[in-house]
Amino acid sequence: MRARTAQRVLGFALILLIALAGLLAPWLASHDPNASGDDVLAGASAAHWFGTDDLGRDVYSRVLYGARISLVVGPAAALVAALIGVPVGLLAGYASGRLDLFLVQLIDLFIALPSLVLALMITVMVGATLQNLVLVLGLVMWPQMARLVRGQVKSVREVPFIEAARAIGCTPARVLFRHIWPNIMRTIAAQSAIAVSAAIFTAASLGFLGLGLPPPAADWGSMVHSGFEYLSLNPLLSLAPGAAVALTVLSFYLVGQTVD
Amino acid sequence: MIGFALRRLVWALPNVVLLTFLLFAMVTGWLGSPAAMMLGQEASPEAIAALNQRYGFDQPMLVQYATWVGKALSGDFSRSYATRQTVASMIAPALPVTLELSLWAILLALLTSVGLNSLVVGRRIIGACTTGFSIVGVTIPNFLLGATLIYVFSVRLGWLPTTGWVPWEEGAGLHLRHLIMPVLTLFAFYFGAFSMVYRAEYRALQRQLFVRVASAKGLSDTRVSFRHILPNSILPVITYVGISMGHLVGGAVVTETVFSIPGLGRLFVTAIGGYDFPVILAMGMIVLAGVMVCNLLADMTLAAVNPQIRL
Repeated sequence: MRARTAQRVLGFALILLIALAGLLAPWLASHDPNASGDDVLAGASAAHWFGTDDLGRDVYSRVLYGARISLVVGPAAALVAALIGVPVGLLAGYASGRLDLFLVQLIDLFIALPSLVLALMITVMVGATLQNLVLVLGLVMWPQMARLVRGQVKSVREVPFIEAARAIGCTPARVLFRHIWPNIMRTIAAQSAIAVSAAIFTAASLGFLGLGLPPPAADWGSMVHSGFEYLSLNPLLSLAPGAAVALTVLSFYLVGQTVD
Repeated sequence: MIGFALRRLVWALPNVVLLTFLLFAMVTGWLGSPAAMMLGQEASPEAIAALNQRYGFDQPMLVQYATWVGKALSGDFSRSYATRQTVASMIAPALPVTLELSLWAILLALLTSVGLNSLVVGRRIIGACTTGFSIVGVTIPNFLLGATLIYVFSVRLGWLPTTGWVPWEEGAGLHLRHLIMPVLTLFAFYFGAFSMVYRAEYRALQRQLFVRVASAKGLSDTRVSFRHILPNSILPVITYVGISMGHLVGGAVVTETVFSIPGLGRLFVTAIGGYDFPVILAMGMIVLAGVMVCNLLADMTLAAVNPQIRL
């Protein structure tokens, strides 16, 4: 149990750090993230801590600004996933019989689909803009949320105090929101953090496959993508933004994993 | 057993039909006319109409779907728009590559995660390390792990070839050397996920009566762990293999791109980039079928191990 608490504290601390890096980017960055210079593909130096990319842009500054994009895309996509997944899960969990069966089938159907491949296909069709990315990621992640919420509702609704609430004549809506919701809220919050980490993970993977936000956005995945061919020249071009992704994914995962 | 498998297959059939239709509708319908894309922006409407007629794009969606499925069932996935090769001839060499890669990764992850988490001797240190590695394993992006491995072992140390794929026929040693880093890259996630699933079940079982009885009879801790707890706590891991097929596909796509491996994943990425519909469709169907088959296999393994499920 103490290990779990330590993990959560570590997760929150990392998120804080990344958020600060993004917020204070204008002051922390050494260069304009989108200004290309003459010094193309320079190695790490005092002037350019992580070197410069193929357009002569400072990679350290771009990694800092990239935190802004990830911290918007991740939570926003998780929110979309929750907005679809939580109602579906509540409905499936509280209703029984045919409706539940139908919704479970639907959820399982979508869970079986490979989310990255699905995201890849949809992104190619609709184009990689910030809004599209958020919607696409939310769309491929809602089934996990729905499944979890359904399971939680199912396990709570059999408890005697719910029966009592029903017996004294509470409406289904009141039972659901006054009696069941407070009991499953924590788990949903935890799952949301996991969803944030999954969204950032998938967004970065899309970026690596060349479907990140269009230039000049300082998108971590796209930076890994464009820096990858210069791996032997300056590994930091792709490894630095890659490490930023890993750290962000890890931090949200640690926070979400602790409540179970 | 066969009855059970058949029943599961029949249950899965409507899902397969529904999903394949959705996929078909998505790829052909939503994207607009494939003909316009094949002929380019400045194609005349007549040329587009002619092409539409030739390929049957002007038919209603359901008719197109039925035609496609009919052909696909007989092994005819038509030809790639980009290379003019038959889709089947593009997929045939790529499929075994991806299968081998995934099989190694999953097998290795299964052995190590179950083995390390069952060890009794040195559990303190090994257990803590396994926990740490599991968390890193499930959160580290494949491309970062792959790029780091390439940088350290190929660029810096020069121990392993950077990228590419050498078939078995050109030497087993060379083949395996090219496999090491991609397999490790895929392995990380599975090791972490299997570890977590297995350990949770293991912990729960440790408190059960049959385990205490086994200890009370005087069996050594190691024997109790491997003979009594392991066979029971491995069940959810098997289920997980089935569930996580979707993740495997995503991982394979990224890993094959990192290491330039001519597998299904890279074929898919290339096809997506070039709007190569026949290839995208065929790949989508293969992935769907693969996911369904793996879920079925996982269920059957479970049923074989645990007769209660067969009911």
